[in-house]
Amino acid sequence: MATATGIHHRSYRAELRLRHTTSEWARLALVVVALIAAPWILTPYWLGIGNTILIAVIGAVGLNILVGFTGQISLGQGGFLAVGAYTAAILSTRAGLPPPLAVAVAVVVTALVGALFGLPALRLKGLYLAIATLASQEIILFVVKRWGFLTEDKGYIDVPRAPFIERSTFELQWYWMLLPITFLSVLMARNLFRTALGRSFMAVRDQDIAAEAIGVNLTRAKVTAFAVSSGFVGLAGALSAYYTETVTWERFTLDVSVLYLAMIIVGGLGSIAGSVYGAIFMMLLPPLLTELGGALSQQFPSFNEQLPAVKNAVFGIAIIAFLLIEPRGLNRIWSRMKDYIRFWPFRY
Amino acid sequence: MKHPRRTLLAAGASLLLGLTACGGGAAGGGGGGGGGDTAPIKIGIIADLTGATGDVGKPYNEGMLGYIDWINSKGGIKGRKIEAMSNDYAYQVPKAEELYKKYVADGAVVIQGWGTGDSEALRTKVASDKLPFMSASYAEVLTDPKQSAYNFVVAPTYSDQMRVALNWIAKDAGGKAEVAVFHNDSPFGTAPVADGQKYIADKGLQLGYKAYPMPKTPNFVGLLSQAQTQGAKYIVIQNVSSPAAQVAKDIKAQNLPMKIVCLNWCADELMIKTAGADVAEGHIMVQPFAPTGTDKAGLKVIDDYLKSKGSSLADKNLHYTQGWYTMDVMAKGIEKALSSGENLTGESIRKALETMDAVDTGGVVGTGKVKFSADSHRGSTGSGIYQVKGGKLVEIAANQVP
Repeated sequence: MATATGIHHRSYRAELRLRHTTSEWARLALVVVALIAAPWILTPYWLGIGNTILIAVIGAVGLNILVGFTGQISLGQGGFLAVGAYTAAILSTRAGLPPPLAVAVAVVVTALVGALFGLPALRLKGLYLAIATLASQEIILFVVKRWGFLTEDKGYIDVPRAPFIERSTFELQWYWMLLPITFLSVLMARNLFRTALGRSFMAVRDQDIAAEAIGVNLTRAKVTAFAVSSGFVGLAGALSAYYTETVTWERFTLDVSVLYLAMIIVGGLGSIAGSVYGAIFMMLLPPLLTELGGALSQQFPSFNEQLPAVKNAVFGIAIIAFLLIEPRGLNRIWSRMKDYIRFWPFRY
Repeated sequence: MKHPRRTLLAAGASLLLGLTACGGGAAGGGGGGGGGDTAPIKIGIIADLTGATGDVGKPYNEGMLGYIDWINSKGGIKGRKIEAMSNDYAYQVPKAEELYKKYVADGAVVIQGWGTGDSEALRTKVASDKLPFMSASYAEVLTDPKQSAYNFVVAPTYSDQMRVALNWIAKDAGGKAEVAVFHNDSPFGTAPVADGQKYIADKGLQLGYKAYPMPKTPNFVGLLSQAQTQGAKYIVIQNVSSPAAQVAKDIKAQNLPMKIVCLNWCADELMIKTAGADVAEGHIMVQPFAPTGTDKAGLKVIDDYLKSKGSSLADKNLHYTQGWYTMDVMAKGIEKALSSGENLTGESIRKALETMDAVDTGGVVGTGKVKFSADSHRGSTGSGIYQVKGGKLVEIAANQVP
């Protein structure tokens, strides 16, 4: 039982635990139960949205490792997703690699490409780095768009559906495949920041000169951060290739990079849990607005007609609202809520 | 902890929003495709009203909804009304996929799509979900049932239109000529580019050929100067009306000796209107659908319907007609599937579309008739070639096939 005076640690080992209190374990149990029960509660449509969220969570966690934890801003997310998707699709359709192997190779290839495009980060910071990563987005998109041999001059790649996936249980089967992969990815990322490598990332973010002074190898930390982050993003891209069954460059435009940045801003920079919340929030927003538009179509037909514009506006308002009201995102809101209950009836 | 209470409130509100939405989804998902004998037939429409191709996407969508309104007012198809679910996807593939999933969950039996990118991306999905899919994309790959089992294309493909255009150019030039292809930088734009190049080689046409993706710039002076360096006398445009009109304006402003040959999506009244009649004068348009103001019999029914609504076909453009007849062909397939006595499913509609008699469009689409078979989902061949004269589309050659 957590005490009202706070949580006290008596050893470093205790402090490093992922969960400290029984109520934290109880909440985890609740989440696990909800995730396992989801397929029985949700319709295939909402389960499908759940699947896109699961893939987005992996991508958002990857981006947060780079932006939130290492402080290296990146606008190249869409490009790195494309590297993962195209690599997996090409390897499995043309080289005949089994999907798990193709996904694994895609992760490695994306990590390497990420490290390569991360090299400018050794000299650039802030806005300048943002522009450099924007260039990586444009370069990668140019390559997948114009190099015809990648798609055999078709402009898209069909990824055949695995034979064991049935039409009627498509979303369900994907849910059970994606859930453990996403769970493991999140767990891995969470654990990364209990290691020396993860802490060196945060040291670079907080003050790179100080980090160097205490012995952090800046070059290694920055390039590794780009590689690790891109590895996660590559995994998300590769999974999306199999899940959507067609790979086209139109899925990996700059909009996607901005969407992922929005996810981690809304969720909370420098927080793995925040990436999860942010991905859920940003991926649920459009279908919820579609539902709202459908429900209001009788009373306010113009709302439904302008839905894409409304979606863009809400998207922008959400980002501005979070930056103004709670720059540390949903994760911070959640922890404040927990504190409120824990300290009640006292304010702090 | 500045405003914990406010935070709690916000969290509670968002939770409620989430719950209501999930509840709505659960209720909506049970629909299914079958229904009773009088249950409405659900059709999902993916439309571009505000996106990159919205200028031509909006009238196309209005044409579809007009047709549905018209047939419902006549009692529907064999007594069953059409329930159209039509939403804007702003020409973005992920949004099209989101809408598609929603329509499947809501029990749509057929889908009417729009762009090449999304039609290609959804191709495998509609095949495994067994839902007939028509779209305003006439990319060659969509006509082959082996590659796109559930896609149906009512009009001649972009590649066919490109071949017709090249034939006309070769004849008009009477010998060697340079052709510049300005295309939308998307799967839609690139669809006929490689086929055009191949056609020139196969036919031994004396044409130089170079493709230029159209940048997102306010004008195309830079692109035109590249075409001028190439020595191009003919500019084939595979894009929508508004950018094509800008190319015409730039040619006029620069006083360049170039002739535009527009394919399908810029070969329309809107291009002339946007550019201005004097700017558009003399340019060529390859268009499989009959423009408004021509005397094709199939246009009358649309005009009558619009007049009953206080409008007329003259207020619309040929993309309205295009949407109307695309929906008409789909409706004929549904009608045949219903009269075969089978359950109305995507599968039975596909079979009906493949086996039904040619749909007579009163001379509006291609050669006038649209016919599919199990081996080919290419509905028609034959495009008209028009020249802009005095702000009107004047036919200079009918029923051109490559």
